[in-house]
Amino acid sequence: MNAGSAWWPFGWRLLLALLMGAGLGWLFHAPFAGVAAVLAVALGLQISHLLRVLRWLSGDKVELAPDLTGPWGELVGPIVRLFRRKQFHKQRLLRLLRELRRSTAAMPDGVVVLNPQTEILWFNRTAARLLGLRGKGDVGLPIDSLVRQPEFVQYLRGGQYSLPVVVRTSVDSDRHLSMQIVPYGVGQRLMLVRDVTREAHLTAMRRDFVANASHELRSPLTVIAGYLETLANEPGLDPPLVGPLQEMQRQAHRMSRIVHDLLELSRLESSESEAASRPIDVAALMAQLRQDVLARPVHPERVQVRADSRALLLGDELQIHSAFANLVDNAANYTPQHGSVQIRWWTDADGGYFSVTDTGIGIAPEHLPRLTERFYRVDQGRSRSTGGSGLGLAIVKHVLQRHGARLSIESEEGRGSRFTCSFPRARVQAPAGVVTALPGLAAVADARVESAGARRAESDQSSDQPDLGAAIDVFQDLGSM
Amino acid sequence: MEAADLSHHTSTRFNAELERVRSKVLAMGGFVEEQLRRSLTALAEGDSQLGQAVAQDDSKVNGMEVSIDEECSRILATRAPAAGDLRMVVATIKTITDLERIGDECEKIGQIAARLAAVERPVDRYREVRHLGRVVQEMVRNTLNAFARLDAEAALEICRQDRAVDEEYEAIQRQCITFMMEDPRTIRRALDVMWVVRSLERIGDHAKNICEYVIYMVHGKDVRHTSFDRIERELAERASQRG
Repeated sequence: MNAGSAWWPFGWRLLLALLMGAGLGWLFHAPFAGVAAVLAVALGLQISHLLRVLRWLSGDKVELAPDLTGPWGELVGPIVRLFRRKQFHKQRLLRLLRELRRSTAAMPDGVVVLNPQTEILWFNRTAARLLGLRGKGDVGLPIDSLVRQPEFVQYLRGGQYSLPVVVRTSVDSDRHLSMQIVPYGVGQRLMLVRDVTREAHLTAMRRDFVANASHELRSPLTVIAGYLETLANEPGLDPPLVGPLQEMQRQAHRMSRIVHDLLELSRLESSESEAASRPIDVAALMAQLRQDVLARPVHPERVQVRADSRALLLGDELQIHSAFANLVDNAANYTPQHGSVQIRWWTDADGGYFSVTDTGIGIAPEHLPRLTERFYRVDQGRSRSTGGSGLGLAIVKHVLQRHGARLSIESEEGRGSRFTCSFPRARVQAPAGVVTALPGLAAVADARVESAGARRAESDQSSDQPDLGAAIDVFQDLGSM
Repeated sequence: MEAADLSHHTSTRFNAELERVRSKVLAMGGFVEEQLRRSLTALAEGDSQLGQAVAQDDSKVNGMEVSIDEECSRILATRAPAAGDLRMVVATIKTITDLERIGDECEKIGQIAARLAAVERPVDRYREVRHLGRVVQEMVRNTLNAFARLDAEAALEICRQDRAVDEEYEAIQRQCITFMMEDPRTIRRALDVMWVVRSLERIGDHAKNICEYVIYMVHGKDVRHTSFDRIERELAERASQRG
């Protein structure tokens, strides 16, 4: 652009005016006064232009731009263009924002924006409908003052947002809401709310179906198993029938086991309440589990029980027994006869731990994440032959969940596996008196070990440190029995 | 607005303390709501375990009451609050008492649900009771919302709802009597149902009490034992005075 083009006419005009002023002044013998007068007029004109421009700029209407020529026009033009461009961008941004807002508002999922103090900053219509929020009045209120479900409040304060939390709203309208918090920015949080009632109902239907089907299967199965048993015990049985009948009995037994496990699993799943917390003597339970393994016709050579702590576990005894028995059964199933199984219970400041370690075939790492799924098989052929139902670890998982515990699995193929259940501190109770723990130990321990336990009993009255555990090791293997 | 006055302070620490108490009350309210929901679910679905769990968890409600009560006493002793703050602390102390009573009623319902789970449920799974339960649940929920929002109008509306609960209670009572006269074998069950309905009606009353404290907290006006028309008239007068 020839930005200076307006200057030439202006310069020429000024020069001409000055010359004319000087000429006119010369006529009156005062050329300088003439020049000064022309300059004053020119200055006044410029000042008036400046004022007009300033007045225009202080207003907010671009359209009222003063119609000026010369350098002032040169100045006004770009300013107008700048304004127009700015306004265009602004409008585009506004439109974009409005569109964004509208799309978030129309989202089928509820969205609530929270500030670092978890106060509501903004929410869309779906969130308002699902959570019962109201217009502008609820902005600024803490979210947990309006969404008060204990699970949600715990989730909100817990800070573990990787999974959503599902809460129920009321009995009969029975809406299930899934809520997830997504942190972003500096302490800002986005809360997503989804109505998962349909999914929840489908899950419930599936659960009920499984429970009903298993229940219905149980009675015919009992009849079949009963007749099979009678038949197998028949004295005049044809020798070629003996093998098939035994196999049928085995399979019937396995089937009833699956049905039993399915029923147990659906019972675990359908109960809404957390597991009871009655004290369980883990040492006694472990001893009993060991006896169960040793009672099998084929079992690993060494089965060791080690209770490093006399602390009691608070839980539902039946469920805990079933979970622990499943772990021990698995270990015994997958450990060859010359291998060993070690069952251990210990506590530390964080809680209590129950572990089952075997020197069995182990599990390849790719199977570990899916191990607790129902009917998941690492090796189709082998697990069938052991007679497992395929539901054992699923049961373990559910029992532990209901006790707030976690299952961790370490395994190396060919070397063995370790399954550890970690119970939170609230589930562990310090032993009330040593006497209550002793009968459990005495049940398995031979005289030597028992006296060791008794000796420890005297020294243990004041503390239950796990490191003292070595003294009450009920270390036993088959050889000593 | 009065609500703005309640949250305006020179001492931010004091402010934070009041806010914490409020949040604790609402957390307790949330827990009580959940207890009510679970007890009614236990009744409708014949889940004796759930009913027992509800009865057991009542101790948590009691624990919360004690803890909030202590905190309120401490605030009264150390901060000597005045005006709106004083009203808030006083209203809080009263509110938690009523919340605790609601918790006790839930405990009763839970126990009865556990007992009723053993006997055969009627085909309609206690339809009337469930309906009343829904109304009362809604009432408790709205009450706590009004407490959270310091919404006196909503509180007044809920007070009015309480009459509907009372009427429903009467209706179920009559129905139960009819059942008992028709078939004496149902008397035991009908009596248990009566206890549940009675508890629900009591919960409605406690919710109404809390609403009255909300009105007191916001307007500084004690509306207990006053007819609704008078309350409304006076509140309207105040509003017009304020302009």
